[in-house]
Amino acid sequence: MKRRKFLKSLLALLGSTTLVSFAYPLVRFIAPPSRKAEVKRLSLQKNEIPAGEAREIVLNNTPAIIINRPGKGYIALSRVCTHLGCLVGYNKAKGNLICPCHAGIFNLDGKVLSGPPPKPLTEYPLRVEGETIIIG
Amino acid sequence: MWQRIKQGLETRIGLEDLINTKLKSYSVPRNTNIFYTLGGVALVAFIIQAISGFFLLIYYVPHSDHAFRSVQYIMTTAPFGWLFRLMHVVGSNLMVAVIFLHLLSVFFMGSYKKPRELTWIAGWLMLLVTLTFCLSGYLLPWSQLSYWTTTVVTAMPTAFPYVGDYIANLLRGGEFVSGITLNRFFALHVAFLPPILVGLMVIHVFLIRRIGLSSPPFDASSEETKPWTEYRHVSYPNGNSFYPYFVLKELYMVALYLVVMFFVITFMPTLFLPEASNIPANPLMTPAYIKPQWYFLAPYQMLKLIPNKFLGISMQIALIGTFLLWPFFDTKTERNILKRPLLLATFTASLVLWVVLTMWGRSS
Ligand code: FES
Repeated sequence: MKRRKFLKSLLALLGSTTLVSFAYPLVRFIAPPSRKAEVKRLSLQKNEIPAGEAREIVLNNTPAIIINRPGKGYIALSRVCTHLGCLVGYNKAKGNLICPCHAGIFNLDGKVLSGPPPKPLTEYPLRVEGETIIIG
Repeated sequence: MWQRIKQGLETRIGLEDLINTKLKSYSVPRNTNIFYTLGGVALVAFIIQAISGFFLLIYYVPHSDHAFRSVQYIMTTAPFGWLFRLMHVVGSNLMVAVIFLHLLSVFFMGSYKKPRELTWIAGWLMLLVTLTFCLSGYLLPWSQLSYWTTTVVTAMPTAFPYVGDYIANLLRGGEFVSGITLNRFFALHVAFLPPILVGLMVIHVFLIRRIGLSSPPFDASSEETKPWTEYRHVSYPNGNSFYPYFVLKELYMVALYLVVMFFVITFMPTLFLPEASNIPANPLMTPAYIKPQWYFLAPYQMLKLIPNKFLGISMQIALIGTFLLWPFFDTKTERNILKRPLLLATFTASLVLWVVLTMWGRSS
């Protein structure tokens, strides 16, 4: 009986070691390769975006938009909707940002006006130096 | 010649004996209706998907630079490529429809009840695997429709705090849907899911054969009297034999399935291919009016209506869980739904709600 018990626990040990040494690499293998967040700056000329206009850009691989809000100046927002990740589009006539997927609507400060998005759009730091707009 | 082959097989594997014991002496209730054939039709639908899929693999290139063009090539240049592609596209939609009908009829006839709980669970898991098939397949043509539907679906886990982002990134292989996602979904679609689905099918059919078919609950003769405390096989000594009677019924419905499929392919080839499926994927532009396939419209509309992402998605998971384990909640022995007004009302109400949400999602 003692011998049988010993062999049983030995088998359990071997089995679990094999399992773990397979499972760990598997999890690592499937997990996405970690990507370093590259902080790149982007600069634009002020006259490229007249008041009321917007410009779509890509910042650190993220689609973003710079809007020249009438009377309030420039703002840089991520275009990725905080609901489920579609890209919002600038609606000049209504002065808002609309997400086509589930009809989320944001104002030009990125705040949610209506629809399902839970959070405002991510805002990126933006500076104006002379005639140049610097984002990021 | 044919006789000699038959004789040869007979000596070696006892074909006759197999047919006699497994197909002819296996009897099914006399009053089975056409809804009993839907499981078999779903099986045939799956086989059609598998075969047309094999052919598509010959020309399809699973790479984000080439996927869209390779699908265009199949549709326009490869001889009869359009036929196999449309069989695969239309077939997937019809397969989901058949599975839905199968599920509804099983529910309506109370066939999921003790002792068939495990059969129901295996069936539900098969539905979930089938829907995963549909989703992963949707991305492969790398169109605008593919790209943005997948973006939305893979963002769903982000509703959950802490682990959500990690799961979403795991699915996509990165922060956004990209070529990496395409390859992951391709692997899922052609290598991981098929054996899982086939395995579940084997379990499902094994259980049905092992336990015996349930009979339609609508007349008194079918009432189960003995309580189920130990295993027994349900048989119908004066029922019809499975082969040829039931098999013929089954074949009739399969023929009907094929008619519907080829009717759609011939007369409404774009039914399941909206405009956005003809535009290559563009990660910088979400097209207006992006909508999922019809079978996801109800959950889609639900997500739009519920303002809280976490609530909306957990509710859907809770619903799936409830349906999955339903036989353990509904333990009443009365199988005739017509004698259970409350259940009938809930059943009808959910069905109506589903239809309303689907239509609403379609038109909004
Ligand atoms: S993804 Fe923007 S509203 Fe749903």
